[in-house]
Amino acid sequence: MPEMTLDMRVNGRKVTRRADPGQRLLDFLRDELNLTGTKEGCGAGECGTCSVFVDGKLVKSCLMPVAKAQGADIQTVEGLARPGELEAIQKAFHKTGASQCGYCIPGMVMAATSVLREAPEASLDEIKERMGGNICRCTGYSKIIEAVALARDVVTGRASPAVLEPEGVGDSYIGHNVRRLDAPSKVTGRLKYAGDMVMPGMLHMAVLRSPHPHAEIVSIDTSGAEAMEGVACVITADDVPGKDGFGVFVHDQPVMARGKVRHVGEAVAAIAAEDAATARRALAKIRVEYRELPGLFDPEDALKPGAPVIHDYAPDNVVKHIPIRKGDVDKGFAEADLILEDEFSTQQVEHAYLEPEAGLAYVDADDVVTVISPSQNITHHRHMLSEIIAKPINKVRFIMSPVGGGFGGKEDMIYQGMLALAAMKTDRPVRLVFTREESIIASAKRHPSRVKYRMGLKNDGRITAIRFEMLSDGGAYGMSSEGVMRKAAILSCGPYEVENLQVDTTAVYTNNTPSGAFRTFGGMQAQFATESMMDIAAERLGLDPFEIRRRNMMRAGSLTHTQQRLTSASIDRVLEAAEQASRWEPGPVGMRGPTRGDLGGPGTRAPCTLGARFETPKDSKERVA
Amino acid sequence: MQRKMRGRGVAASWYGIARTATVDRAGAWAELDDGGTAKVVTGVTEIGEGILTVLAQIAAEELGIRPEDVTIGDNDTARSPEAAHAGATRQTYMIGNSVALACREAKARLFTEIAAHWEVDAGSLVAFDGELRAEGTNLAMTMAEAVDLCKRRGVVPVGAGHFTSHGTGLDPEDGSGAPWQAYVFGTQVAEVEVDTVTGEVQVLGLWAAHDVGRVINPRGVEGQIEGGVVQGLGQALMEDYQTANGHPVTHGFAKYILPTALDVPEITSILVEDPDPLSPLGAKGIGEPALVPTAPAIINAIHDAVGVRIRSLPATPEKVLAAIAEKQARAAGAREAAE
Repeated sequence: MPEMTLDMRVNGRKVTRRADPGQRLLDFLRDELNLTGTKEGCGAGECGTCSVFVDGKLVKSCLMPVAKAQGADIQTVEGLARPGELEAIQKAFHKTGASQCGYCIPGMVMAATSVLREAPEASLDEIKERMGGNICRCTGYSKIIEAVALARDVVTGRASPAVLEPEGVGDSYIGHNVRRLDAPSKVTGRLKYAGDMVMPGMLHMAVLRSPHPHAEIVSIDTSGAEAMEGVACVITADDVPGKDGFGVFVHDQPVMARGKVRHVGEAVAAIAAEDAATARRALAKIRVEYRELPGLFDPEDALKPGAPVIHDYAPDNVVKHIPIRKGDVDKGFAEADLILEDEFSTQQVEHAYLEPEAGLAYVDADDVVTVISPSQNITHHRHMLSEIIAKPINKVRFIMSPVGGGFGGKEDMIYQGMLALAAMKTDRPVRLVFTREESIIASAKRHPSRVKYRMGLKNDGRITAIRFEMLSDGGAYGMSSEGVMRKAAILSCGPYEVENLQVDTTAVYTNNTPSGAFRTFGGMQAQFATESMMDIAAERLGLDPFEIRRRNMMRAGSLTHTQQRLTSASIDRVLEAAEQASRWEPGPVGMRGPTRGDLGGPGTRAPCTLGARFETPKDSKERVA
Repeated sequence: MQRKMRGRGVAASWYGIARTATVDRAGAWAELDDGGTAKVVTGVTEIGEGILTVLAQIAAEELGIRPEDVTIGDNDTARSPEAAHAGATRQTYMIGNSVALACREAKARLFTEIAAHWEVDAGSLVAFDGELRAEGTNLAMTMAEAVDLCKRRGVVPVGAGHFTSHGTGLDPEDGSGAPWQAYVFGTQVAEVEVDTVTGEVQVLGLWAAHDVGRVINPRGVEGQIEGGVVQGLGQALMEDYQTANGHPVTHGFAKYILPTALDVPEITSILVEDPDPLSPLGAKGIGEPALVPTAPAIINAIHDAVGVRIRSLPATPEKVLAAIAEKQARAAGAREAAE
């Protein structure tokens, strides 16, 4: 690796290092200087989590070779405030609750600092525009923008610094806006996520992934990689000592592909080496011979007779079917004045947590195999890993590191098994950090769904019967499909008391990227269909959308779709609250927009129009915003 | 039709709290520690939702100390009681109640000793914000003094708690069962502007009313609603993970489009409290329910604005334009047929 002497000032201190001039400024800061407050979110300049100042200019450090920073003055999030102190912008983030998982927050704080330095009088619109290059997946941006505006007002003297202080408590801490206790560690970049952690003697892992959606593995030859200098071990399915298989409901996924691959991006083998670059180079030395198999890419095709079988245990390709029956749907439809039939579909959705998967495993002095990772379910993961590595439960330890966004996407144990195996094989700590691309192709998505809907109603809007049929693409592995289908079925017909219903939800195996847990677990897909149907029905019957919902809503004493008796149901209260707060103008569903009187009032923003704008601030010096 | 058309839509929703159709459980340990501080140990950490702050508030309230005096750890299967997974909108409900119960036990130990020392009834003791007093008397001390006194009497004020949510499995034939013991409901109204030339939809306002049982931290709840709404907005209008014959084609953020600060509507959260009668805190949850009604509210608002019904998410500009063109062609066809 070529090296050169790099001189620069970092956070006010002179730094001189011999280093690879082609590495990214991001890696130099993180790996050479241990300034891990600067995070990698995408490695492609799209998300802004790696933002730093280079000679006063906000730069995405993943796009800059370190040689370009020669002689420059660099400021990272660690350099904003002295240890133990917070700048006004950091205090404002703390005050408004602008940090959630915190992974995007150092980049957000840097972008916000840039706003305050370059455009201290920025309007809300300009703040949003200037922050538009930074992605946050948790907060919905609202409290971040609020924080920037608050800090702006303090910095420009329009507000007293006292607005940044905590609110005094009344007679209870319940219901009180206690500031997030973890915020100071997030706004300063101090908090260590798994990918920031290092241990002495630590190896770095890279994973060989399947280029095929469905193929038999004829052979794997790891000898070329094993022979490379710097490679500590290569692992494949052959290294699993116990019962290979994990999954949230059915343990159908091997730690690494066993005999065949079922989706593009599936782990086939992994390498632990002295550094990440060596591990990645060694991947090219593993020879895998595949025999491609016919693939399944559409859930309808998966159910056809003669379809390729993805898992031997499920010859019909069905992961799970959940039926719900209540009352008599034929009778319900016979009583209906109006019968509506329609179809709805939702897409596959990526969790896009800003922290890509990462983990660190080691075997401790008591032979306890320990995995530190942002796992959303350490309890279940240790059960599964103990079976996989054939050790008792108390010899398996999972530590949950701060999760840089999960949303269900970090419930699947898709890499912790590989880390444990490599740590056991080398007796050294091993770390794996996914790239963004790896995270996207290897992790589960929100189930895409297709819903066939049939709804019968009386002329007064009362629902007499529903037939609801959902087909979901579970992808290559079961993951959370069973639970997602169950929740989709239970919640399917919405917060309405329906006397007669027939609900079926089915997830099938295909060779697409697996679907799994994602915030709402099937609930949103199902209720998207139901809430669309409610408006379609209201339009046909000439009813206001709130009115049709009230005529059908659950109440205390109602029987749910699964025939559970409710002791209370707050749907009446939330309907009324939303109606009042939005100053809803009642009227039957239709194309009412052109005649509505309730548009554009309090609680709305102006439409966003990008481009140059001229503003004349109070000092009447015109400037381009 | 004008170029920019506005409209509004509503969607309602419901959701169950904690794990589905099964018995859910969580455990926690608590200790009132030197200096009037506390240790709370339970097997979970932050995934961003604010659970550590919520648990610190709960512990502070139950123990009579301040949230910043609570140390929470240790998200570790070898060091802490099972709290199970960080999902299913179960953290505040399951772990929050476990922590409350553990703290109550620890506080009861302390109160027994202090009451004996003061020769008053333990039921008369009240602790809040680091101060302890006996009601109806002038007796008072700090919680730091109380812990010290308790320990000098030979007692370490520790407690353990666990909480159970009694869901039942579904019948395999008709699906009947009681999958959750606590339900929440929500309603959202969206106001959109549709550009009928480009097909672009902007969400300008969103009102979100959600029952959360009991609000522990209002800003935290708002943060969950705002984040959920924006994820719902992304799914409604732009996000689309695509594969071609199994090969992902949206494998980076350049291809997989996410909402940015410029896409976000003004969001008004309305927090409704229908306390859960089956748990000590009465709080339920908000994490997942917040995003359930967003996409249908936006899609219903698009219909209100331009009279087209999008049945397939996301409502991309291409789909919206095609639907408008189809509607106009239908209208033209109907005019022709009438002539």
